[in-house]
Amino acid sequence: MNDVSQITAAAVRELIAFRIGEQEFCVDIMAVREIRGWTPATPLPRAPGYMKGVINLRGAVLPIIDLGARFGLNTSEPSERHVIMVAHVGGRMVGLLVDAVSDIIQLTDEAVQPTPDVASEQVKAFVKGIFAIDGRMISLIELDRIIPEPEAEAA
Amino acid sequence: MSDAADPFEAIKVVFFQECDELLGDLEVGLLAIESGAADDETVNAVFRAVHSVKGGAGAFGLDALVRFAHVFETLLDEIRAGRKPCDDVTVKTLLRASDVLADHVAAARGQAAPVDEARSAGLVAEMEILTHGEASTPGAEVTLDDVPEFAPAFAPVMAAAPEADEFGFRPVAFSFAGLGESVAGAAEVAAPAGQTWRIVLRPHARLYANANETGILLRELARLGEMTVDLDASALPDLGDLACEESYLAWTVDLVTDAGEAAIRDVFDFVESDCDLSIRLTEAEPEAGEFDAAPADFDIAALLAMAQAEVAPAPAPVVEPVAPSPSPAPVAVVAPPTSAPTAPAAPAAVTIRVDLDRVDRLINVVGELVIQQAMLAQRVTESGLARSSGVSVGLEDLELLTREIQDSVMAIRAQPVKSVFQRMPRLVREVGEMTGKRVRLVTAGEDTEVDKTVVERLAEPITHMLRNAIDHGLERPEERAAAGKPIEGTVRLAALHRSGRIVIEISDDGKGINRGRVKGIAVARGLIAEEAVLSDDEIDNLIFLPGFSTAETVTDVSGRGVGMDVVRRSIQALGGRISISSVPGKGSTFTLSLPLTLAVLDGMVVTAAEQTLVAPLTAIVESLTPRAQDIHHVGGHDPVIRFRDQFVPLIDVALGMGFRDTPVPPETGVAMVIETEAGARAALLFDAILGQRQVVIKSLETNYQQVEGIAAATILGDGRVALILDVDAIVASWRKKAVRIEAATRPDLKLAS
Repeated sequence: MNDVSQITAAAVRELIAFRIGEQEFCVDIMAVREIRGWTPATPLPRAPGYMKGVINLRGAVLPIIDLGARFGLNTSEPSERHVIMVAHVGGRMVGLLVDAVSDIIQLTDEAVQPTPDVASEQVKAFVKGIFAIDGRMISLIELDRIIPEPEAEAA
Repeated sequence: MSDAADPFEAIKVVFFQECDELLGDLEVGLLAIESGAADDETVNAVFRAVHSVKGGAGAFGLDALVRFAHVFETLLDEIRAGRKPCDDVTVKTLLRASDVLADHVAAARGQAAPVDEARSAGLVAEMEILTHGEASTPGAEVTLDDVPEFAPAFAPVMAAAPEADEFGFRPVAFSFAGLGESVAGAAEVAAPAGQTWRIVLRPHARLYANANETGILLRELARLGEMTVDLDASALPDLGDLACEESYLAWTVDLVTDAGEAAIRDVFDFVESDCDLSIRLTEAEPEAGEFDAAPADFDIAALLAMAQAEVAPAPAPVVEPVAPSPSPAPVAVVAPPTSAPTAPAAPAAVTIRVDLDRVDRLINVVGELVIQQAMLAQRVTESGLARSSGVSVGLEDLELLTREIQDSVMAIRAQPVKSVFQRMPRLVREVGEMTGKRVRLVTAGEDTEVDKTVVERLAEPITHMLRNAIDHGLERPEERAAAGKPIEGTVRLAALHRSGRIVIEISDDGKGINRGRVKGIAVARGLIAEEAVLSDDEIDNLIFLPGFSTAETVTDVSGRGVGMDVVRRSIQALGGRISISSVPGKGSTFTLSLPLTLAVLDGMVVTAAEQTLVAPLTAIVESLTPRAQDIHHVGGHDPVIRFRDQFVPLIDVALGMGFRDTPVPPETGVAMVIETEAGARAALLFDAILGQRQVVIKSLETNYQQVEGIAAATILGDGRVALILDVDAIVASWRKKAVRIEAATRPDLKLAS
């Protein structure tokens, strides 16, 4: 009995869904360490617009990426209703600023469809695929591309 | 399989850690011998170091290392026993041998390529010649029968024996075949002037119970003159009947001395009541036969002399129960059964080995504690509690405690710079050989302590600057002779603490910087304008500019594509500064100044465009309120401010950082005059100064990346992140921008290129 549930668990991925504006996205739940409310960030000089700055996460300096801005979407000034998802990306911790976290989704890999060509290039760069749940379209985000390459940024 | 291998590997790791320390000791000892400041103990320490490396290597089957160490050890043993003079040639050979030994260790560790066989074999041959050059001993191995030379024989016997077991106990093989001979030999020696006293000492058990020690008494006696000691062990019962608290031994000492009876009595001042003591004058010839029956008649004085440095020479009157006892009496004298060769003479500080990660974790947590404490303090202040309230008072105590914890934790990471300095003599020797220059390295302040990270990252810049000093700084021997200097050049490496920073000075007594050439190169490379008027200091510091690598000076040694700018950058990355001063014909001095720790920083908390920033206190010269009449604009846009009759650029930090789009009138803010590493001054404009504070440095690179103009981040009392300014980068980027503006607005002007 136990074995069966483990096999199913292996095939099914758990994703965490969140909202930016009117759109829904999701990331692998394993990448997300915690979810917390928005606290004002200390802006960094000469940082790209989507880089909201850094906050103190229990002593660690955590850079905050405005995910909507990163995707090229229109975003509003962050307020207390916004949410920061603390995620583990490529050995670093980043805070992802989103409008709200909506759901935890269980999904098999087969359900994911490739990103249609209609999406903008900027969105396509981060979206691994899309899928439908309850009539909603959710885009699966590739977190590794979210952080700018330090070399490229420095150059 | 892996289960069996892992603990073994772990032990091996410890062995190699010990090797590092031993090799360090070895080098220090050899250098002391070279400088003539060596005593017997130094020679012994050197011997012990090589011996311990060999012993450990044997246990791990590192044959190449063992073979080399063995030859090395044999030579040292000869020197130690005084059979071989320790002249200059020998010391140089020993030093080179220690280098090769270090290479062997590195190779065995898998950190380096196998040692060059030819080099190793060459040194082995050299050492063997030195060992056997004077036909004092027929074989490299001292045989077990060489008993009169009992102490030196001790160690080789042990080298062949298994390593100390977990109790630190080493079985000692010992032969008594020749014990009787020494008495006859010693008797011949004792015929100088002075009176001969016969002292018979029979200690009571109480003497030992009162923590006195016959060995020490005998040594005291030996200071008075020549002496022969006979041990009477006839009262010693069989092991089974032996009471370990009892005293069974007696000594008869024939002492030839000019000192009178009173001096001899003085020796026994404190023990007289605890022993049977008789002191009387005798004929000059002592009678050797008095204790004929005793199986252990031998020369304790000679034994003591030889064993003195090796072990605390305790002719223990009591048989240690753990000692292997072929015959109780002699073992009682040889006794110290613990690992004698590894016991240093000076009591070493008690230390423990701790995984660095654990220390770092502790330091991080304490950093959090400091921040949390500051946050708490701020909350309490905000809550409007009276300063005298119990909470406030308790909080103040907490603050003191936190500070103390922080300081103590930081001290754990503090290490003497010795570990870096120790590597340098070898480098200097090698570079000296390569360049054909004679160099002497003088080091000072090796015990200066600084954070481990700083220590580790110091090695490279120091290496580079030493190479530079020898290769470029020092002249060839013939030039030195012509200049009336000693042929041997001196390079000095010193460390000291100065105003909360560590200062490292590397100076040479060479020719100094050729300012004409340096300036010529800088102009040729477009680093400065041809007509620029520079002070001597400014010219000297040109060598730190990126792109200042002189093709003419490329050599095997220092022309490895690493310019002084790289050195400067690595020092700056540590929050340090580097500068040079030079006197033509007299030499140059590089001065590094580094923070003691990379974990905390003294900073001035300021605000600019509603952002809180921290300026490193070390860079700040002065702060002032700008007055309108002091501010001028060069060429219409770039503001400068008059600061003590000097015009320095005024940089609006908020504007430069992009926190604000339009400049504010400077009079509304505060200007802080800062000095960059290169010594350039500028005034940074902020909105207000909040105060001075020690802040915990948090890297931005851990989770993000380096940001231009920002050195690091910190967390303030309110829990928010504040950025620590990199004043050098701010001034540099302001210059770049100024150049861009200039280029854009006046395209007719040719830029220095």
